[in-house]
Amino acid sequence: MTPQEKAFEQIFTTNYPKVFRLCQGYTNGDDALSKDLAQEVFIKCWQHWDSFRNQSNISTWIYRIAVNTCLMELRQKKAVPLSDHLSHLEASEESLSVSKEFQLKQLYQCIGKLSTDNKSIILLELEGLPQKEIAEIMGLSHEAIRVRIHRIKNELTKCVTQ
Amino acid sequence: MKTFEDLKSQWEEQPQPKIPQDGSKIIMQKINGIKNKQRITNGVLLTTTLVLIGFLFYINAYSNLIVTLGLFLMIGSLIVRIMIEYVSIKDLKRMDFTKDVAAFRTDMISYYKKRITTHYVATPIILALYATGFIILLPSFKQNLSKGFYTYIVVSAIVILIVMVFFIGKQIQKELKSLKQIKNSQTS
Repeated sequence: MTPQEKAFEQIFTTNYPKVFRLCQGYTNGDDALSKDLAQEVFIKCWQHWDSFRNQSNISTWIYRIAVNTCLMELRQKKAVPLSDHLSHLEASEESLSVSKEFQLKQLYQCIGKLSTDNKSIILLELEGLPQKEIAEIMGLSHEAIRVRIHRIKNELTKCVTQ
Repeated sequence: MKTFEDLKSQWEEQPQPKIPQDGSKIIMQKINGIKNKQRITNGVLLTTTLVLIGFLFYINAYSNLIVTLGLFLMIGSLIVRIMIEYVSIKDLKRMDFTKDVAAFRTDMISYYKKRITTHYVATPIILALYATGFIILLPSFKQNLSKGFYTYIVVSAIVILIVMVFFIGKQIQKELKSLKQIKNSQTS
C-alpha cells in the first residue's frame, strides 16, 4: 500500500460515518442511495487529492466535496419518498423506541422540505460544525450564515412540532 | 414545545452507520474501473474514426466529388457531435468539487448554459449538415442500389431523423430542468 493509499484509508475510516449521515439528510434517510453517494464522495476525495495537501482543515475539505457531490448527483433525481426506507433504524441493534423512531422520521421529512441550500446549512449545523466552517463550506459570510441558521432552526422546529 | 437542541440530540442519537469493510479498497477498485472505462471510450472513438476514414479510401470515395462531399458531411458532422459530447463529459468530470458551494454552483450553471447553447446552436447545424450530406448522396444511392433497398434507406433515414430529434428534445428538456433546479437551490 502506498503512503497516499494509507492516508486515504485513514480518512475514509474516520470520516465515513459523518459523510454517510450528511448524505442521508439529502436522501430522506434512504440507506442505499446514501451509501452510493458516500462512495461517490470518497471517489472525488481521491480524485482531488492534490488540493487536499494545500488545505489546513480536512473537515472543511471533505464537507465541501460531500455537499457538492450531493448537489450534483441528486440534481436529476426525483424526491425520495420516506415510507419504505429508514430501514437502518428498524434493523439497528440499538433499540430505538417507536416514538423516537417516529420523531426521527418526522425530522427527516421536515429537512426534506427545505431548499437545497438551507438543507445543506442545517445538516452541517446538526453535525455540530462551527458556523465559521459552515460559512467557508457554503461560500457565504459568517454573518449571513448566522442569520440563516437562526431562520432555518425556527422553520424546522415549527415543522416538527406541527 | 420542542427546541432545536432537542432535534439536534435526536440527530446525534441516530444509530451510527457501519463503516464498510474494505471500503477504501472498494473505492480504489471503482477508481481503476473508471480509468479503464475512459481508456475503452478513447479506444472506441479512435477506432471508429480510423474505420470511417479507411472506409472512404476502400470505396474510392475520393474519385467522385459529390460522393466525397456527401460522405464527408455525414461522417464529419457525426464526428464533430461525438467530440462535443466527449469534451462536455470531460468538462463535467473536471469540475472542482473542493470549491465552496456558491462557487461550485456558479460552475454548474455555466456548464449547463454551455450545454444548452450547444443544443440550440451546434446541434441544429450538425443535424442540417448531416441531412445535407445524406441528400447529396441520394442520387448515387438511387443509381447503384435496388429500388427496394433505396426506399428502405430513405424511409429509415426519415425515421432515424425523427427519433433523433425526439431524443435531443428530451435531453434539452432534462438539462433545462437541471439548470432551473440548480438556480432554485439557492434561496436567501
